[in-house]
Amino acid sequence: MPPTLDDPLQSPQESDSEQPVAVRKTRHGKSPLDSVASLPYRRSNASLSTLFASTTSLPLQSGTPSESGTVTPTAGAINGSVFSPGASSALRSSSPAPSAQSVANSETRDIIQRAFSPHVSILASQDTEELVRHKGIHGGLLEILRPFGERVQGKVTIRDSSGVSRSWEDYGIRFTGVRDGLESPRLSDRKSTDSGGSSARNGQRTSMVDYKPARLRSGGDVPLVEELVERHLTFAEEQSGPVDADYLTHIDGQPTDARVPSPFYTLYLRRLLSGLPMVPSETFSHPVASVIAISSRSANPIEELRNLFHSSNQGEHRLPQWVHNEFLRYYVLVHDEDFDDITKSMSLFDQMKRHFGLHCHLLRLRSTQCLPSDDGAVKLPQCEWTAAAEELAEIVRRETSEDDDNTTPCIFETDANAIRAFVREMVTQSIVPSMERASATWNDQVASRRRGLSGRFMSLSKRFTPFGGRNASVPLGGAGSNYDSLQGFYRPDAPEAVMRKLADYGMMLRDYKLAQGTYEILCQDFKNDKAWRYYAGANETAAVSSLLAVSAVSPRVRVEGIDQYLETAYYSYITRVGAPYSALRTLMLGIELLRIRGGASLDDAARWSTRVLDDRLVGPVGHVLFMERIASCFTERKGVGGVGGSSGDRTRKAAFWYMLAADAWLRLEKTSQAEKCLHEAARLYRLDDGEMGLRFDGMRDFLRALRHAVKVNRNGPQHLDGVDLLADDDDDDERTLVEPLQEESEQLGPRSPVFGHRKSLSIAAAAHPAPLQTQFADPLGAVPNAYEGTDDVVPAMLSPHGVDAASSTPVVERKDPRDDGFE
Amino acid sequence: MSYHLSIIGTLDNPLFELSFGSSKQGGDGVAKFRPEALYMNQFLVHAALDLVEEVQWVSKDLYLKRIDSHQNNHIHCFLTGGNVKFMLLMNPDPQATTYSAYPTTPASRPGTQAGGRQSGGATGTTGAGGMLAANPTSQGTEEAVRAFMNEVYETWLKCIMNPFYTANQVVTSPVFRSRVLAAGRKYL
Repeated sequence: MPPTLDDPLQSPQESDSEQPVAVRKTRHGKSPLDSVASLPYRRSNASLSTLFASTTSLPLQSGTPSESGTVTPTAGAINGSVFSPGASSALRSSSPAPSAQSVANSETRDIIQRAFSPHVSILASQDTEELVRHKGIHGGLLEILRPFGERVQGKVTIRDSSGVSRSWEDYGIRFTGVRDGLESPRLSDRKSTDSGGSSARNGQRTSMVDYKPARLRSGGDVPLVEELVERHLTFAEEQSGPVDADYLTHIDGQPTDARVPSPFYTLYLRRLLSGLPMVPSETFSHPVASVIAISSRSANPIEELRNLFHSSNQGEHRLPQWVHNEFLRYYVLVHDEDFDDITKSMSLFDQMKRHFGLHCHLLRLRSTQCLPSDDGAVKLPQCEWTAAAEELAEIVRRETSEDDDNTTPCIFETDANAIRAFVREMVTQSIVPSMERASATWNDQVASRRRGLSGRFMSLSKRFTPFGGRNASVPLGGAGSNYDSLQGFYRPDAPEAVMRKLADYGMMLRDYKLAQGTYEILCQDFKNDKAWRYYAGANETAAVSSLLAVSAVSPRVRVEGIDQYLETAYYSYITRVGAPYSALRTLMLGIELLRIRGGASLDDAARWSTRVLDDRLVGPVGHVLFMERIASCFTERKGVGGVGGSSGDRTRKAAFWYMLAADAWLRLEKTSQAEKCLHEAARLYRLDDGEMGLRFDGMRDFLRALRHAVKVNRNGPQHLDGVDLLADDDDDDERTLVEPLQEESEQLGPRSPVFGHRKSLSIAAAAHPAPLQTQFADPLGAVPNAYEGTDDVVPAMLSPHGVDAASSTPVVERKDPRDDGFE
Repeated sequence: MSYHLSIIGTLDNPLFELSFGSSKQGGDGVAKFRPEALYMNQFLVHAALDLVEEVQWVSKDLYLKRIDSHQNNHIHCFLTGGNVKFMLLMNPDPQATTYSAYPTTPASRPGTQAGGRQSGGATGTTGAGGMLAANPTSQGTEEAVRAFMNEVYETWLKCIMNPFYTANQVVTSPVFRSRVLAAGRKYL
């Protein structure tokens, strides 16, 4: 039952934001350089390139040793534009033996696994923040701790609910501010959830405490992710190799890489999963623990700690009432190495331990500012899991800043080591054990009652007895229900909420079987209570956890339920809740995990991806990234080989989707991406193979036209040379150029649009030689050559879509960005 | 409702291609595809061949029914004994198909699309060929297409029985073409 998708797709937040993104992309009637030139001139300074490091081919460019926190070098080195040929080819050659496919699979699986990390909020006193700011880090304690939290040094051992211990190399936590994830990142529709009156005071306080406002650190906004990935793409286009020689060496690395997801897609996925917004229906971003920090400079430390604790519990830093407030508090004493007395701090620390228990740590930092030239200085590593809004703000800031040098702050090596040790100790000694304990308790008390035969009847009994339920039921939600349907949440101590927390802890501790079982119970409960957002969320995570629970190798265990979960979650999110971001997230996670299973699941993944495209859950950039992904799904789909030879092979479909992707990339003016897709399409269609090649004329001609367009645009629209910015493009002439061609081509009949252009262009070329030169904006001056008519394909350089322009002006408007690149 | 019939030989080569529209309920029998459909239809039909190869081992009929859809193009296939495939692509609303372009208007409104094309017969797309267009995947549609395919098959048989026709040769006979058009008028 396909839901109607007009309005529910556009939630109030998305609708007004869809338009600006859409309008900006089409760039009516202007040459592509106009649009680029209207943006602030981007200096390709070193600091900028570190920001885009995750999608260029040299992730270790930024120079930090181990904790760079960027994409794994192997996958990153293979794709992306060539930043500097020598180094990248060295990296490419050193890529490990495992096949590209397994690398790709583990990469996306890792991203998804690590997306569900425990969130730890940081609440620091004023003097601590001053101490850190004194070091030159404006974001305070949060900024200095964040990069180190994302990957805990060494192995972390976790015991799951069945008593089995597993150790993980890539465990991490997320440090967040206290109110991160509560507000939408857009300024226009920020709603102050509670404490509206104190928001002014709060805002002032947070601006003192946080360098960037908390709202920038929240994710959950698809258009922002689109914009961010578009920036990365444009940067990659600008940096892409200018000369043919590079193209040739570049092309060698290509054939094996079709299955590795493009770094832009990985970025899209990661940004979609960063900054999970804090909502009642899922507790991934609810803090698992809170770090309360004071420094050795403070006058009355114990008092200060008590105040902070109090404010986190009931005061201004209190979280909304649907957040379970009984989480671990971890107390940190930041000792100033340079100015304060260590013995005094040690005694204070002992006092703290006596007062607050064992969850304390003494963190020794140096408070002098570290200059890059200092001995033992390391740059603060870049965070991998920043939200899209944050990264965009950083990009804009660096582009428009006057100074060229890298503004990443530096810290001392000793500081870095101290922080790493602190994170490791906190995670392994306090956070993981407390999470394990909590989930064991909840498991015993709440969930185990629900399992087994009697448990199944409990939900029924809740519905039918008027005074049912274990807790005093809220009368609004119906008899026996704990759901407050007016405000839309469960009280945090209601058994459903506790079970949700238990299941989420299972996900965060990577105990997927427990998570899956609990989510199944919850699906039923939420459905009965008609808590639709919770229902959708439970279905989503049930699908994800069941896919994560099976290891990649074991073939077909429980695939039947997955489709049902995904469908229900999707339908509920779109129709009942109106949350397109969550729907997109559901499907994206499902698609990626289904892909990993291989075999028939690849067809399912492709089917869901087409659903995403058809229902327009993504913007233009996401649209084409998904197309590429579908194509690589079909490439992987190998037939069973059985009776008829390659039945089940999908090479033609893969080629089709690559062709569509190449076309779409050209529309977005991202020629180097289009080139890759087109190369794949040509390979799969065997375009150049005379004997066994394509027999369909229309297809052949279109592919050749695409190829020509790519070749002609390779140094084209978005590649910045100095000359480009000086060329002035006359769009009037271009418009008039298109008009006569339309009339002529119409007369030539509909048989082959490309041939039509060929003739018409030779007529028109004589008439308008001069304006044609400027249309092209080709810095290398290839235009005169093109019009000499040296090769026969050249005159067809007008867009194959030019014939469309015949119908009406709006279509011309839409096609012009495409035509620009061709002429 | 617009149709595109392709007859595809054993080497993925097109032997015959024809576009036509529905003649039912006031339709004029002319296909109303977008200009891009000239090559896009070929791409779609070619891509659907993958599925033909898979379904042919599962189905015991020669008529494989609807094997694939893309946006609102539906592809039906009939398989002949010589591994020649009759692929019928039908599109109830060709103006709404955006292929690789990012659709800027919601997908569920067939009348107005990105580009706002006002070409002649566009307004008639939902009216003409109403029964089939309204429900392209129903049993009735399948029956109509099956009947059409059978008639094309008979014409095809006569064509290949021509002693001068070699296997995998392109069919250029105007008689064949007119018979196919007549079948289309009758059933579709």
